[in-house]
Amino acid sequence: MKIDKSLISRIEHLARLQLSDTERTQIQGDLNNILEMVSKLDELNTDGIEPLVYMSDTVNSFRPDEVTNQVERSDALKNAPDSNEQFFKVPRVM
Amino acid sequence: MSTIYDQYETVIGLEIHIQLNTNSKAFCGDDAHFGGAPNTHVSAISLGHPGTLPRLNAQQIKSAIKLGLALGSEINSVNTFDRKNYFYADLPKGYQITQDNQPFCRGGSVMVKTINGERAIRTHHIHMEEDAGKSIHDLDPNHSFIDLNRAGVPLLEIVTEPDLRSGEEVEAYMLAMRQLVRYLDISDGNMDEGSMRCDVNISVRKKGETTFGERCEVKNVNSMRFAKRAIQYEVKRQIDLIESGGKVRQQTLNFDPETGVTSPLRDKEDAHDYRYFPEPDLPPVHLSNEQIELWKSELPALPKELYAKFTKEHQLSDYDATILTEERPVAVFYQKLAELNGNYKAVANLMINKIRPYIQEQKIHIQEFPVPVNSLSDFIQLIVDGKVASAMAYQRIFPKLIETPNETPLSIAEQLHLIQSADEDFLMTLVKEVIEKNPQKVAAYQKGKKGLIGFFMGEIMRASKGKADPKATNQLLGELLRK
Repeated sequence: MKIDKSLISRIEHLARLQLSDTERTQIQGDLNNILEMVSKLDELNTDGIEPLVYMSDTVNSFRPDEVTNQVERSDALKNAPDSNEQFFKVPRVM
Repeated sequence: MSTIYDQYETVIGLEIHIQLNTNSKAFCGDDAHFGGAPNTHVSAISLGHPGTLPRLNAQQIKSAIKLGLALGSEINSVNTFDRKNYFYADLPKGYQITQDNQPFCRGGSVMVKTINGERAIRTHHIHMEEDAGKSIHDLDPNHSFIDLNRAGVPLLEIVTEPDLRSGEEVEAYMLAMRQLVRYLDISDGNMDEGSMRCDVNISVRKKGETTFGERCEVKNVNSMRFAKRAIQYEVKRQIDLIESGGKVRQQTLNFDPETGVTSPLRDKEDAHDYRYFPEPDLPPVHLSNEQIELWKSELPALPKELYAKFTKEHQLSDYDATILTEERPVAVFYQKLAELNGNYKAVANLMINKIRPYIQEQKIHIQEFPVPVNSLSDFIQLIVDGKVASAMAYQRIFPKLIETPNETPLSIAEQLHLIQSADEDFLMTLVKEVIEKNPQKVAAYQKGKKGLIGFFMGEIMRASKGKADPKATNQLLGELLRK
């Protein structure tokens, strides 16, 4: 797989980012380097090996249905770039 | 008159989202109840902070399996979760946890009453996912406000096969589903609070065709009335388009309840690419047959089972059985009273005409109904045994019984002088009086106008203030009129 200009612009749209031409060229290079590094794995024969999704063999890890660990609203809003006393504020999306 | 529209058949499939009534959210301990001041039911997990890990709520698994079992679905023994990636302000993590590959339930069906009789509407599958937060667009001209109370609340998505054929059938299906989730006590099924919402997939085809037409999806229909209107509008739009030589394009549409019109979401928004991949933070859920069988044995009697019992064993009409099974608490109350008393039809009448309207007017739960079940049974017995005329019992004893629930129905009947009398002297006086007062009618009766018996009975009942025993009166009246 090769990262080209059109794929960069599609990812930009999906992530709602706006990049400059310089950034685009740089990211295109970075992503291609990453893919190239990872493609090393293609040299391995993985026939008949199940994909590994989970890092442990744990199954059925449940919690009881109880209300716990909530945070105060002021703390919840504290790290947001913009907010008022009640809500997160984001650029208008409609 | 037949129109061009009659040559077409509508094909509808639904995606229904049911909000589960758990105490806490799907993957963290935030309060999951509707309402609450904005952004107070939140935590590091639902806010999507880095380094947090989701953990499954045990209750939601049980809820999903209960619904699957009630629909007769096949329950998957190994279940996994996936991430659905998209960028939106009310989805803090940037992805929704859902199930793409291994949903909890596949297949099954719901029986729906339609104008063409009862039909099974098949379920494609049921999967589990989390809800997003809420965006508010009308509080500020330049900003959207975000409330994350709903972010992470557990949902079940029920996907049907394209088995529905009209807005009326969609409504019937939604009602049946709402009834079922309430019976199972897994959701309140409230459409106005968003506990039940649906996306409607609609296509049309010429009658007799076997392939499906191109479908459009109408998003976020949050009431049954809107669903019907959206379908009506969309069907007409598609047929008009085809008839004028156009082609229906697969599209996602929005329904505006104010205008009654569907309109396409912008093309870019439509160009979804969710990049699903397995959710590595949530270990798989393995369900054993023993576990599934245990939950199956805990299911309550379902509406269709109670309906069958009430119509077959209790010999109630379709109308009575439908009303009595509409809500589970009413059905349970009826069963209790019916088992105690045994006069099923009389119990059904009292439930439908008196008890149910009373709890609806007073807005109380049926368990708060003031009169004890054994007293209600005695009340019914007074009518069945002919001690009190049923009209009198309903109009006069019942209200008094509600006021003073500790008094016996019999003592109330006595206090109000409503015990019917079959005493011959008492009845004879009444019957003679009415015959003397109406010589012309008596003559007409004797000439063959037998229907007049009803008139005489009515007059006697009125004169006796409901106390005349109808059977004895009828007999006596018949004898005297024949003389």
